[in-house]
Amino acid sequence: MRNPRDHIEIVGPEGVPLSFPTATVMERGFAFMVDMLVIALITAVMIIMGVTLAGFGGLSEPLAILMVGLFVLAYGYFTFFEIHWQGATPGKRLMNLKVISRDGTGLSAEAVIARNLMREVELFVPFIALTHPEQVFGRAPWWLLVPTAAWVLTMLLLPFLARERTRVGDIVGRTLVVRVPRAKLLADEAARVSLVPSAPDDALRFSADQLAHYGETELETLADLMRRHELREATLQDLGVVAAAIARKIRFEGPLPQHDPARFLRAFYKQQRAALEKGLLFGKRKASKHAD
Amino acid sequence: MTPRSVAFRAEREAQWKELDGLVERALRSGMKSLHEGELRKLPVLYRATLSSLSVARRTALDRSLIDYLEALAARAYLAVYGSRRSTRGALRRALFHSFPQQVRALWREVALSFGITTLGVVVAIALMNVDQGWYDAFVDPSLASGRDPQASTESLREVLYSGENQALSFFASFLFVHNARIGMACFALGFAAGIPTALLLFTNGLMLGAFLSLYASRGLLIPLIGWLLPHGIPEIGAVVLCGAAGLHLGRAMLLPGRRTIRDALGDSGRRAAMVVAGSVVLFGIAGVIEGVFRQVVQDDALRFALAGFNAIWFFGWLLLGGRKRNRPDTDSA
Repeated sequence: MRNPRDHIEIVGPEGVPLSFPTATVMERGFAFMVDMLVIALITAVMIIMGVTLAGFGGLSEPLAILMVGLFVLAYGYFTFFEIHWQGATPGKRLMNLKVISRDGTGLSAEAVIARNLMREVELFVPFIALTHPEQVFGRAPWWLLVPTAAWVLTMLLLPFLARERTRVGDIVGRTLVVRVPRAKLLADEAARVSLVPSAPDDALRFSADQLAHYGETELETLADLMRRHELREATLQDLGVVAAAIARKIRFEGPLPQHDPARFLRAFYKQQRAALEKGLLFGKRKASKHAD
Repeated sequence: MTPRSVAFRAEREAQWKELDGLVERALRSGMKSLHEGELRKLPVLYRATLSSLSVARRTALDRSLIDYLEALAARAYLAVYGSRRSTRGALRRALFHSFPQQVRALWREVALSFGITTLGVVVAIALMNVDQGWYDAFVDPSLASGRDPQASTESLREVLYSGENQALSFFASFLFVHNARIGMACFALGFAAGIPTALLLFTNGLMLGAFLSLYASRGLLIPLIGWLLPHGIPEIGAVVLCGAAGLHLGRAMLLPGRRTIRDALGDSGRRAAMVVAGSVVLFGIAGVIEGVFRQVVQDDALRFALAGFNAIWFFGWLLLGGRKRNRPDTDSA
């Protein structure tokens, strides 16, 4: 089941709520480090090129271009990629992360610009404050130090404390960072048919009374057990134990649960699910065997 | 007796798989990897899958099916709404429509930002009139580079008319980067309830006032203004705008109104971001004027002419840009 803490729900323009796994602070931190590494590499290449060109020509133009180029790189890198790579920088792409808009509409350029303008204040200022406090606090009196430090600390810790793992930039740009979910469609246990032509599953019939005991939780547990059996993680004996327990509970007469527990469970699962789904159509939801 | 969801799945599975394939490619190699027919099909399949998801959530009792549809719909959302496709002329519209529109929408903050700067100027002039010694408190010695009350009138005049022709482009780009960073910090610091932004604007005003007062005391006020205004209009204007953006953010925090602080911050953050982005362009223009024209043009009259020209385009841009023309039949989208 989904833990609400690691999923974020947003409502798209179509009005259907969608659920995304929240990116952890670790994943985001790693993506950020990858991006910083890329920036550092490009910076190094640009500096070498600019200085070489300036040195050979004795001109100042390459240095001027270098200066503006480094500025554009430092401030434009995240914004550029998040706009042009559909909400992902190279680092985020590597970590399978995406920036999305909190309100469910498309990610706008304003949102990306806003979230990245905050980066300097929330990351580099605290960093400098920790390593070179005199550069941030300057000649400020000591009593200013306390609120400033508290403020810096709050911004640093916000992603750890906020339920949606938002940093300040995410709040200001109203964005979220999510993990791209993986989609894998498993085989449907109820669509499996008996491989023995002489003994079709449908030959087995359960009465309405017999199908009135269990709810959705038990149904899901049963589906899980049968899936594990397909993967050979559960033995035929496991199936036998469960089949016997179900037969006792619903008062099923006969030797089938012992002889062919797989067939018994398959037939029971199929009919139990059909019965519960029919109930859903009439607005009746039976969550578990304990519910009425 | 087969569950309804089995037939439901059988009918739609091919559609889901098709969407799955398109989304996989779009997420791995970008939207460009889809050809035109597929691009048109993507939203159609996406909406069909959303409706499958809604139905499955309410009527199917197969957790793996619902999980699959949840994940597929979320993945497809990322491909379909990941970012708004940039259309032709998006940059032009942002610069000449959104930017001036948002500046006008923030007119209260712009006025406040301008007011705080002016207050700084006035305070500095008033204090300097009493004691010239205040100068050192207002102007960072490293920025003053010898322009202080101890300097001779001659050397002060020289600064205004020294045509340093060396490394003009380097100087211009240095000024641009330096000022743009201050402007962006002005915005971002607004997150601390706007207090640091207001302080920054005030000290900026103090520095300006101190310069004005120092030069006025030597009878050099008019030459200083001629030296200052050509680049000062876009540059001081951009600082005021960035300050306004920061104050807007601070206002959202202190006075969110009926919205939650979070919503208020999000609303104003996006709006203010546009103002800051436009201001960076202004800083670029100011950097070129400051780094090149100011050094090359030595004539007061020419300088005032340039200042007048700058004032016209600056205010024309901000006050008239992006206004709807009164033509009811054509709606400018």
